[in-house]
Amino acid sequence: MADPKDRIQRLLSLVPYVLRHQGATLEELCEVFGVSRHQLMRDLELIFICGQPDYTPADLIEVDFDGNRVYIRMADYFARPLRFTPAELYGLHLACSALAKLSDDKAAAPLFSAIDKITQALRQGRSSNDEIEGRMEIKPASHERAVLSELSRACEGRLVVEMEYYSYGRDELTGRRVHPLSLEFGMGHWYLRAWDERSREVRVFRVDRIKELATKAETFDPPPGEDLESSPPGPYGVVGSGGIEIKLSFSSALAGWAREQPIFTRCEEVRGRLVCTLRTENLSWLERELLSYGTEVKVISPPELKKRLRERALATLALYGDER
Amino acid sequence: MNKAERLIDLIAMLLEARKPVTLEQIRSSIPGYEQASTAAFKRMFERDKSELREMGVPLRVEPVDALGEEVGYRIPKEEYYLPELDFTPEEKVALLLVNRLSSGELTPFSREAQAALKKLSPDLGEGSRLGNAAPPRLRFAPMREREDILNRLWQAAVECRRVRFTYRSLGKGKGRAQERELDPYGLYLERGAWYVVGFCHLRGEIRSFRVSRIESQVEFASPEGEGPDFTRPADFRLERYARILPWEFEEGAPRKARVRFSPRMAWQVERDLGDIYRFEWAPDGGGILEVKVRNEEAFLNWVLSFAEDAEVMAPPELRNKVKRRLEKLLESLGQV
Repeated sequence: MADPKDRIQRLLSLVPYVLRHQGATLEELCEVFGVSRHQLMRDLELIFICGQPDYTPADLIEVDFDGNRVYIRMADYFARPLRFTPAELYGLHLACSALAKLSDDKAAAPLFSAIDKITQALRQGRSSNDEIEGRMEIKPASHERAVLSELSRACEGRLVVEMEYYSYGRDELTGRRVHPLSLEFGMGHWYLRAWDERSREVRVFRVDRIKELATKAETFDPPPGEDLESSPPGPYGVVGSGGIEIKLSFSSALAGWAREQPIFTRCEEVRGRLVCTLRTENLSWLERELLSYGTEVKVISPPELKKRLRERALATLALYGDER
Repeated sequence: MNKAERLIDLIAMLLEARKPVTLEQIRSSIPGYEQASTAAFKRMFERDKSELREMGVPLRVEPVDALGEEVGYRIPKEEYYLPELDFTPEEKVALLLVNRLSSGELTPFSREAQAALKKLSPDLGEGSRLGNAAPPRLRFAPMREREDILNRLWQAAVECRRVRFTYRSLGKGKGRAQERELDPYGLYLERGAWYVVGFCHLRGEIRSFRVSRIESQVEFASPEGEGPDFTRPADFRLERYARILPWEFEEGAPRKARVRFSPRMAWQVERDLGDIYRFEWAPDGGGILEVKVRNEEAFLNWVLSFAEDAEVMAPPELRNKVKRRLEKLLESLGQV
């Protein structure tokens, strides 16, 4: 059973809608309010028995039908919908700015002016538009906008994209030809979900790691079996699966942090240190992470990782070899 | 009697009332309340009242007469009604797109955005039809933080209201949860996690808190008040604060460091930090970034995460520290 509050909220907007658009069709109302015809009829029946005390026929709201057209009278006190709650205003703001970040300037302008109008008219919580905007900060940075809007165009038009991409997991730059399927925002970054011609699979690419990008005139057919509506978004970041099992031991200073990292499948305390297990496909990204943590983290296994970390440390140290 | 009917009748009655309506009048007028015993009616009305307030209905309690002994209820129309909005055709189309974007719970707070757009529908007219929306090309991963906490913090930041919560920090307190009072200045999303930044009364300075580490509910410090409880400093810039880098934290005088990046990584560094720091491109596609450093450890962690793709050029002390860190690491690795 849906929350009765949702229904009340809907009724409080449905009445003003019909008051302003007398003769609106049932189909229109179903679509605007996102309800089935059955639910809409139940809503209208409920409105029909509401009104003012003493609830005689003269006090009740009038709902009339003419074919599939709806008319409402005697409900002037519901002439306008209820004001926004703060959360509603902020939610709308967020949705508008998310869309604006994906649009070019021409498409973003009416979004900004619409949200401006709304905030100005409401003056809710004495906050101006800028004040609300200034209290929320979401990446991506503006430089990503052009890339996002180009990728968005490629998704819509099913256009093949060629790109030079930096893979964090493999620590390498490669050229790829991909078929863009969707743009996804997760873990604080934008990602492109696309069919990768080389690996012949659907892959997820972080947008800010695309170095160069060229949209081709060539179009593609969507890969069979890739149903966007049902496939879960992601995965984002380094995938915590693969053929190699890694065991790391963290000092007590880093233990709390390590416990929060979703990539570890297991964490256990061993003599004052935290031993964490993870699985991965390749070691390159780990070498860089481990170099950064220094002696706070010790590699327990595999020996291959120790060896490669040592090589990486020596190679980095070589940059500083000129003085002593 | 249907609860929705009762609440709609209650709103209708209180909107039309010219003066505050007493509890007794409400009970004797609205069919749904009549049958209940006095105690049951009071409980019922209390619940209804709080549900209306949750929906944002401005329910006012006011004295009925000059003596002020008896109180009644009223919903002022000017506070209840959404002002009329006049959108251009372009704006209507833009809002229709937003409607599509949020209809699949794609953005955080999308349910609230949906509710807001429904309230705008009389002004949007047919523009608010969802229609046969195109398959989603944009998707947002679900939030991991608790939505009620985020909403409350956001409201508090916008309305300048002080909040209270229990926070488990990771630092030197070693995971002990502590009660905090915060004047929230804003929220930001960093690496997939929400943070709230503001003036922390426990520490007496501006601090960031990771929302997922808040263990309690977030309460307003003065629940009866409407704010503002504080003024955000005029020179505070969230967009700048949200980008304070780990090596910029910590007191002490900042010093400049120069780091050279290889052509393989320079483009990423320039994109990420080029708007904050000076970046000089080299002819080979590499480049040098001039960084402000306050916390040396954090700076070394960052530089070393680039391995041989980053080299500290200056100052010599920091250069030496990188060297020593690497030598220590090699020592601890022993002969592999």
